[in-house]
Amino acid sequence: MQERFFNYELISDTDRSFIENKYHRQDMPFDGKQRMKYHGYDYDESTGLLDTEIMLGLDELAKKLENEHHYTIKSELFSYILDNTRIDINEHDYFIGIYTWDRVIDKHTIDPWQKEAYAKATLAVGNSKRNDFSKSGTAWALLDFDHTVPDWESLSTLGFVGILERLENSYTAIKSSGAITEKQELFYKCAKREYEALIKFVKRLYAYSLTKSHPKAAIVSESLKHLCEGAPQTTYDMLQLIYIYFMVSESVEHYQVRSLGYGLDNTLYPFYKSDIENRRFSKEEISRFIAYFMMQFSAMGNYWGQPFYLGGTNPDGSTAVNELSYLILDIYDKLGIYNPKIQIKVCKSTPKDFVFKALKMIIGGSTSIVFCNEDIIVKALMRNGATYDDATLAVVKGCYEYALRAKSIGISFNTFNALKPLCFVFSDGYDNVTGKLLGIHTGDVSEFDSFEKFYHAYLAQFDYVINENMKWIYEAEKYINDVNPSLLYAATIPACTEQLRDANDGGIINVSDMLLNGLGTAVDALMAVYELVFEKGVTTLQELKNALDNNWEGFEKLRLRALACKHKYGRGDKLSDYYACAIHNFFASHFIGKKNSHGDNIEYELHSALAFLKQGKSTPATPDGRYNGDEVSKNASPTIGMDTNGLTALIRSVTSMDLSVSDSGACLDCMIHPSTVQGEGGADILYGVLNTYLSLGGASIHFNIFNSEMLKDAQANPDRYKNLQVRVCGWNVLWNNLSKKEQDAYILRAEKIIE
Amino acid sequence: MKKAVINDIKRFAVHDGDGIRTTVFFKGCPLKCLWCHNPEGITVKPEIAYYEHKCIDCGECAYVCPTRAHIVKFGKHDFDREACIACGRCTESCLGGALTFYGKKTTVEELLPQLLEDRDFYESSGGGVTLSGGECLMQADFCAELLKELKKAGIHTAVDTCGFVSKESLRKVIPYTDVFLYDLKAYDEDVHIRCTGQSNKIILENLLYLDSLGKNIEIRIPYVPEYNSDQIEKIAIFLSELKHITKIRILPYHNYAGSKYAALNIPSTLPDRLPTDEEIQKAVDTVKNITCLS
Repeated sequence: MQERFFNYELISDTDRSFIENKYHRQDMPFDGKQRMKYHGYDYDESTGLLDTEIMLGLDELAKKLENEHHYTIKSELFSYILDNTRIDINEHDYFIGIYTWDRVIDKHTIDPWQKEAYAKATLAVGNSKRNDFSKSGTAWALLDFDHTVPDWESLSTLGFVGILERLENSYTAIKSSGAITEKQELFYKCAKREYEALIKFVKRLYAYSLTKSHPKAAIVSESLKHLCEGAPQTTYDMLQLIYIYFMVSESVEHYQVRSLGYGLDNTLYPFYKSDIENRRFSKEEISRFIAYFMMQFSAMGNYWGQPFYLGGTNPDGSTAVNELSYLILDIYDKLGIYNPKIQIKVCKSTPKDFVFKALKMIIGGSTSIVFCNEDIIVKALMRNGATYDDATLAVVKGCYEYALRAKSIGISFNTFNALKPLCFVFSDGYDNVTGKLLGIHTGDVSEFDSFEKFYHAYLAQFDYVINENMKWIYEAEKYINDVNPSLLYAATIPACTEQLRDANDGGIINVSDMLLNGLGTAVDALMAVYELVFEKGVTTLQELKNALDNNWEGFEKLRLRALACKHKYGRGDKLSDYYACAIHNFFASHFIGKKNSHGDNIEYELHSALAFLKQGKSTPATPDGRYNGDEVSKNASPTIGMDTNGLTALIRSVTSMDLSVSDSGACLDCMIHPSTVQGEGGADILYGVLNTYLSLGGASIHFNIFNSEMLKDAQANPDRYKNLQVRVCGWNVLWNNLSKKEQDAYILRAEKIIE
Repeated sequence: MKKAVINDIKRFAVHDGDGIRTTVFFKGCPLKCLWCHNPEGITVKPEIAYYEHKCIDCGECAYVCPTRAHIVKFGKHDFDREACIACGRCTESCLGGALTFYGKKTTVEELLPQLLEDRDFYESSGGGVTLSGGECLMQADFCAELLKELKKAGIHTAVDTCGFVSKESLRKVIPYTDVFLYDLKAYDEDVHIRCTGQSNKIILENLLYLDSLGKNIEIRIPYVPEYNSDQIEKIAIFLSELKHITKIRILPYHNYAGSKYAALNIPSTLPDRLPTDEEIQKAVDTVKNITCLS
């Protein structure tokens, strides 16, 4: 099918192999979580210094600057790295090479500054609960440098040079008004320094490209020349700009870039149209540039997957899906990659054939595609005060999270384990990992004579954990701008430039994100207490406590009863769904209408990231039959294997909650047996599921189409399944990179799919 | 209030008619197809299926069984089917999921809300509710009542039938059925008798009757090598004369039902040989060439 679209080669095998080895060697062991520690090949030594040499230079420079403001230190170090890193313009690649990409700046910036800020926050709250919560898997609290989306509009219309000019103009205007503050002066000076360094870096790349005579060099040179002079002029210029900004922001400035354009299709489209009309580049050439561009992200091996979104709605209400949206999907499909990952913003105006195209790719094994419901995004953001237009144009800033375009930045990212407070009810507030009192005293569990009393104790424990952790987060967030100034990012944002104020210093809305992990399992655990102790009376709270304390050893029959309980989240069971809604709303109620220490919104996300594994590891046995250390449910999904009433019932359960309350995103992960969607009508079935989920108020949805036999075969024969990818939680991984335990959990889930 | 005996309600059914559907499996069937993959649907009387490999010898069934059909001897579970009155209590208490009850009695009032639960999915996918079995039209009065209520609620309805039912039964459901999923196993009467235990005379007559009324009919032909594989062409020629066939599907025989026979203690009559992909493709092509339908 793909050959129909491409009767030409998108990328040669040699070039593909080169890019696949650009960031790390494919024949060497690789850990995606440490991806920047690697290098693929050696760069021309005449172009700059080695990482070790740069680090020595930074040590020296940092020493000289130690009494300077953090903006100054960061911008000077940033400039030093860009001035000295080795570079490349390779015959096998249309995109530049930057050698020093291991965030070497951290040693003198984030690392000490964050330590200092965290210590100050701990001192301010007067206890070390945050560290204990973190260690015990109860709750995590972290400052956020991982979810930025620069203003692609400014970058695409102004380029790096125009951004600098705009900054200078703003400075001149404010300066001439006579009301400029010292901080504004400093912001201007340091942001300017970073952009001057960036432009100098691009000029250096341009000069180096002129020394090359390979066929790609001329094209690369022309593009870099455009970027040295001003705004990008072609699709290829824009791709090169996105790539350079991405690499510099992620790897030098230490701010992750979570979207490549507003989406990629829309940001590139004006260039694409102009290229075709003016015959600058043909569709074939542009397809190649996009292919080489995507291969960069595939090769980098970022373990959570580099996201970019497609689709959505234009300001005039028309669909934002365009010719390029289809082309990008075709290229992605043809390349057969799973990283970057694609989010598709869907709403009523999204063309059916575009959704079908994506669904067919999913059925064909492309599991890196997730659908995000624009209606829910709009509802959630408008509830938080956004205008309709702003909410419609919202960006996807993470795996599923959304945010206002160029108007907000996340400042903290915090994850709460819904199971741990339930464990505290059994232990009267004491934690199994640290042995400390991390909850509150709710009394001897065996003395609760009604489910309501147990449930209220659970809410009291959870309330305490949320409030205690929030105290620390409130304090720590005050220091985010000291810890990691976002100068490169802020200069792209019109509001920050106009005010000469850093983004996370209040230049735009500074949002705190609160993630809820393990909701499904928490509901099952509560329901097991209800059903076994109070409804059927087959056990007592004391016996249940003994069973949990012993990790069910000696209580196997009781555990089976717990697993066999009829009230489970994900079955469309009304009682369980009622409690899912209750906990969901209870968690949200802690943040609705509340402000963080920057005076801005606190948002809730029904998303687990890796916490479903990591926090699960520190969670003791729970009443639903789960063993100590087992994973908990992720995102809006049920506990593995408990959604035994089919997909429609599962969707009922999930959409029984108002998912716009989780105002920063929520995702359902569905596993579907291949037989369900095979054949001609398969995409129609999936379309029906998707449409119903969206119309019932579902937020994001992701489909994994597997059967257990295939996964077992893949476990037994890893060599035959080198390319098999599965969705873990917001991102895909190669099957062979999962641990045996994780693979087993996945197989277990696949075994429970109803055909 | 009429009661029906059913085996199961399957939500998100995607192989029983168009779109996303909920299928009700009725209990009891007048045919005894040698390849039957729903043996729990053959008799109308309630039954307990016992999947021995899932039994963990927990003894919960023995605890609740009123007739001591379940006992645990020396730590091992033993099921005396003769003593079993199929009350179903054991299946509710079974911790290993080894016992399944087939033959729940239900009313239209009980069924309807469950069937309407997924109406959003039906609407967005062009699906609805399918009555299947066993042979659902053995309980035609109930089916008619249920279908009438479903139509009142605006739900698309399908009846999956083997066609071996009285015309009177058929007439009862015709006004409320949007599409018939009609099974044809053989054209030659002797082959039909050999494979199903019954003549196909009524089946073919009923099909002609439905066609004469202009009802939408989707034909389903199980393909069982060496049993009815020589019947495909004859069936196709017969069908080519009909006017209201919307689809013809060849259903490749599979033997997944083996464990169900063992669990129900019914001697298995399942053929050994599975059809090859080539055989299925050939059957599909034959039907397509003769009827111009697929």
